Amino acid sequence: MRLNGVHIEDTFAEAFPMLGTRLVITADTPDWVQAAVVSLTGFATSVIACGCEAAMERVLPPDESPDSRPGAAVLLFAMSKAELAKQVARRVGQCVMTCPGTACYAGLREGAVIPLGNALRYFGDGWQIAKRVGSRRYWRIPVMDGEFLCEAATAAVDGVGGGNFIILAADRRAALAAAQAAVQAIRKVPGAILPFPGGVVRSGSKIGGKYKGMIASTNTAFCPTLRAAVPVSLVPEGVESILELVIDGVSEAAVAAAMRAGITAVADLGAAGGVVSVTAGNYGGKLGRYQFRLHEVMA
Amino acid sequence: MSGLVLTTRDPSGPPIDMTGVLPERLIEGGRAALAGLMLVRGRGRHRLDALFTLEDGGPPGSLILRPGSAVLDGVGTGMSTGGIRVEGECGAYAGSGMRGGTLTVAGNCGAFAAAEMSGGRLRVAGDAGEFLGAPLAGGTRGMSGGSVVVMGNAGDRVGERMRRGLIAVHGRAGSLCGARMIAGTIVVGAGCGPDPGQAMRRGSILLPQAPDAVPSGFVDGGTNDWLFLDLMRKELIDGGAWPNGFPTAGTRARRLIGDRSAGGIGEVLILGEA
Repeated sequence: MRLNGVHIEDTFAEAFPMLGTRLVITADTPDWVQAAVVSLTGFATSVIACGCEAAMERVLPPDESPDSRPGAAVLLFAMSKAELAKQVARRVGQCVMTCPGTACYAGLREGAVIPLGNALRYFGDGWQIAKRVGSRRYWRIPVMDGEFLCEAATAAVDGVGGGNFIILAADRRAALAAAQAAVQAIRKVPGAILPFPGGVVRSGSKIGGKYKGMIASTNTAFCPTLRAAVPVSLVPEGVESILELVIDGVSEAAVAAAMRAGITAVADLGAAGGVVSVTAGNYGGKLGRYQFRLHEVMA
Repeated sequence: MSGLVLTTRDPSGPPIDMTGVLPERLIEGGRAALAGLMLVRGRGRHRLDALFTLEDGGPPGSLILRPGSAVLDGVGTGMSTGGIRVEGECGAYAGSGMRGGTLTVAGNCGAFAAAEMSGGRLRVAGDAGEFLGAPLAGGTRGMSGGSVVVMGNAGDRVGERMRRGLIAVHGRAGSLCGARMIAGTIVVGAGCGPDPGQAMRRGSILLPQAPDAVPSGFVDGGTNDWLFLDLMRKELIDGGAWPNGFPTAGTRARRLIGDRSAGGIGEVLILGEA
């Protein structure tokens, strides 16, 4: 398949099941929302070493937020409910409760219950107050600037982690421009996030490595500088730089929609923009049960 | 199957105990199950259809009492589903022990309305008597769930020993509002009598201005932003419980913490002292 001169390889992205939740963070100003969200989602790029994968899903204007203040929706994914609950409690406790003026609400209603304020209330040292408003229960935890309002629990849903596509470009500048265009497009898709820095991965990995104990190592087949040295290289002539976009979503459809939006944005830049081709990372179907075939996604 | 309209044959006689006159009985047994129900009136017991005329009407699964009267005690007692509409006033114990459904009273209601209520909605267009949402005589637990909206005034001891739920009084409440409260929320639109929250352990009493007297066990926590007030206001307005004129537009309020003499950390929030 060719789109605007860009070759879309006939391959598939391999993804795996995760559990995810959505949190809504609000604060007095957009800057403080950003501060909380950046902190909350920091070091949450890959479950390989971070415990969870997280990123901001979208900014919420005051008229969409629960308390009529600036806000943001954040998605967090982990490999198990227990790990997700642990990460939510730690990150909200350390990064949202500590941030001036914030409040934290559940962004999902249906699904397995994950403690939110229920896990943090004891910080109130006995002065915390439960408050039910309508059908929802909150904890009001006294803090030094007033009160941290936190919904008692959130919900976990089955999600999909590891959706991806790989941009092969003539040079580093072209690869970065294409990746950034894809990021912009994907961030408009509800229910999907890009957990890596700026939404982009440059150190794509393969399973295992030559050193004992390494569960992942650099994806040598996609390293342009090793093209002449490794037994199997997937870097075509004329490609100097490669970047990957990794997508987590609350559903298969959300991941597929995000991939479609991202690849479309890359293809719009076209061969004239230095984009040579788009492919995807897979492990022969051994990693996860979800397969996103690029041609089907773009059909 | 439509609802049922019950017209009181003698709305000025001795009190009628309406216990058991419930929508669930109509839903399960039909009109006949209600018609044969024995009710206590004064010293005697009477079939319901001897005290009321019955005719089809109203939404399915609902009862309409017409005309309302202060002789009708215990309307909606123990109700768990459906709806009862009282076209006028009713007597004591309206919605007491209620677990679900909706009871609406177009006029005033007497004492012990919503007493020991655990779910459902009570809406009173007029005034409510004493012990709204409180325990029944001899009881130890007040309202433990559901919501009560009184568009007029309420008597003394609103929400006494309340454990959960919401009571919204648009007018004025009497003395000892929220006394011995354990949790839940009471909102009063036009102030209350002395000593709100006496011996309260937890829970929130929202007032437009400070009452004349506050129990000595309360300490002044100062004025601050209380974000949950924004959620509460939205819930009340969007849910139709407080269509306009909520006591505060913002989230700031002065907070009195208490009752410390009972080890309590409940709060009386003075909305107008922001």
